[in-house]
Amino acid sequence: MIFKPRYFFGETFSTLRRNFLMFFTAVSTVAITLFIVGFFFILVYDIQSILTSVKSQVELAVYLKDNTTEEFKNYLENEIKSWEEVEKVTYISKEQALEKFKKENEGSEILKEIQGNPLPASFEIRLKSPEKVEQVALRFMTKEGTYIEGIDEVIYGQNYVQKLFSITAIAGTVAFLIIIMLLLAAIVLIFNTIRLSIHARRKEIEVMKLVGATNWFVRIPFIFEGLFEGFAGSIISVIMLYFLSNYLLIRGEKAIIDTLHVKDLAILGPNNVILYIYAGLVILGCLIGLFSSNFALKRYIGV
Amino acid sequence: MNMIEFRNVTKIYEDKTVALKNINLTIKKGEFVFIVGPSGSGKSTIIKLLIKEIPVTSGAIFIAGRNICNLKASKVPLLRRNIGSVFQDFKLLPNKTAFENVAFALEVIGKPTYAIKVQVPQVLKLVGLEHKMNSYPHQLSAGEQQRVSIARAFVNRPPILLADEPTGNLDPVTSEGIMKLLSRINLIGTTVAMATHDKNIVNSMRRRVIELEDGEIIRDQKRGVYGF
Repeated sequence: MIFKPRYFFGETFSTLRRNFLMFFTAVSTVAITLFIVGFFFILVYDIQSILTSVKSQVELAVYLKDNTTEEFKNYLENEIKSWEEVEKVTYISKEQALEKFKKENEGSEILKEIQGNPLPASFEIRLKSPEKVEQVALRFMTKEGTYIEGIDEVIYGQNYVQKLFSITAIAGTVAFLIIIMLLLAAIVLIFNTIRLSIHARRKEIEVMKLVGATNWFVRIPFIFEGLFEGFAGSIISVIMLYFLSNYLLIRGEKAIIDTLHVKDLAILGPNNVILYIYAGLVILGCLIGLFSSNFALKRYIGV
Repeated sequence: MNMIEFRNVTKIYEDKTVALKNINLTIKKGEFVFIVGPSGSGKSTIIKLLIKEIPVTSGAIFIAGRNICNLKASKVPLLRRNIGSVFQDFKLLPNKTAFENVAFALEVIGKPTYAIKVQVPQVLKLVGLEHKMNSYPHQLSAGEQQRVSIARAFVNRPPILLADEPTGNLDPVTSEGIMKLLSRINLIGTTVAMATHDKNIVNSMRRRVIELEDGEIIRDQKRGVYGF
């Protein structure tokens, strides 16, 4: 086949001119669906960040009895450190606990009431995966359900931790499903629009095949068209998303940072997630345009 | 030399319709052949098999000595460039002028622009439409539209021209003009096969007639007429 760029580009753009309505429909479909996908992605990312940050605050506090020996404390510390779930163990002695307590309650009446040091020494344990908190807590228990010798109490928010984990798990699944559904809807919509524009020109394709145009020759203008529509639509969606995030979403994220101290957010976070979303949308738009036109051609006119 | 040869060709469509039953037939280079028979006798199937629009069920078809049944899909366009086809419904593109419709056939097979500019007016002159090059199909009469479609089929000077009921939509006088044109193309050396059930045309031309009925050849006659 002789490659004739002037023919292909000319053919692509002259059909874009002729079928402006078709072109407009395809581009706006791509733009709107990708915009919604992008918007949801930002939302989902931020919600996941908040949930992850809340989860990472889940810790175990293991309070020791006052009569425990230094050897027991060292033994226990080494034992805890050897568990693979554990990320970090901090020992807080009775004195440090009192210091901390005094600092936190400076100026309060309570301090005057305290005599001696009623606070216990403790281990604060941070886990690599907070979901395992219950498993780890159980290691401080005997089979009979009491704490092992030398341990007064283990606290890890028994009541809310399980709920939090089930909520994050559900939220994650739902978000994933919504994004998948939106993507599917986008693909189906874009595919149908491109298919219609191909259908509108089936006569032209029939003639081309009749006079011996190679399949590639028939396909290339349509593939260019699909690619161009996907590209143009995704660029428009990125522009819309840019304005939405810079004038609206950014305020929400500021509030989240101020109140919840969550760092890894889509727009304001240190990872520039928003740029990846923009790039992803453009790539996605081009791919959808490319594959929709390719598939529609194969499926509906067999070229 | 045999231009077209059917060897034991059977065609059964997906819905189990038997269109052709064990057909054997040869058409020599430069021949003009009518394929006649009632609707559904298999005339159009022969045309479609020749341009490989549909595959054969069994048997083999040779064009210029080459078996086209085992032709790779990528080679089918090359086959079609050597076979001009004309149809009852013209298959012209409504948004292109007569010139552009013919030029399109050359563009899509990658002919350079300067060749197109020379060849298209030549062939439009051959079909007698040099003065209507810039008319759109809806501005042309049915006969003129069929001339454009013949020009398109012939512009690439294919050795074979197939015509499937080319006069089916035309009145007798216009049909006669189209037949003269096809005869001229045949005289240049092109092998022409034309499916038709137009009695008058077949009788007036006195060319070879192959008659089909229910997918079988019931008559193959040199210088024949439509009926016995």
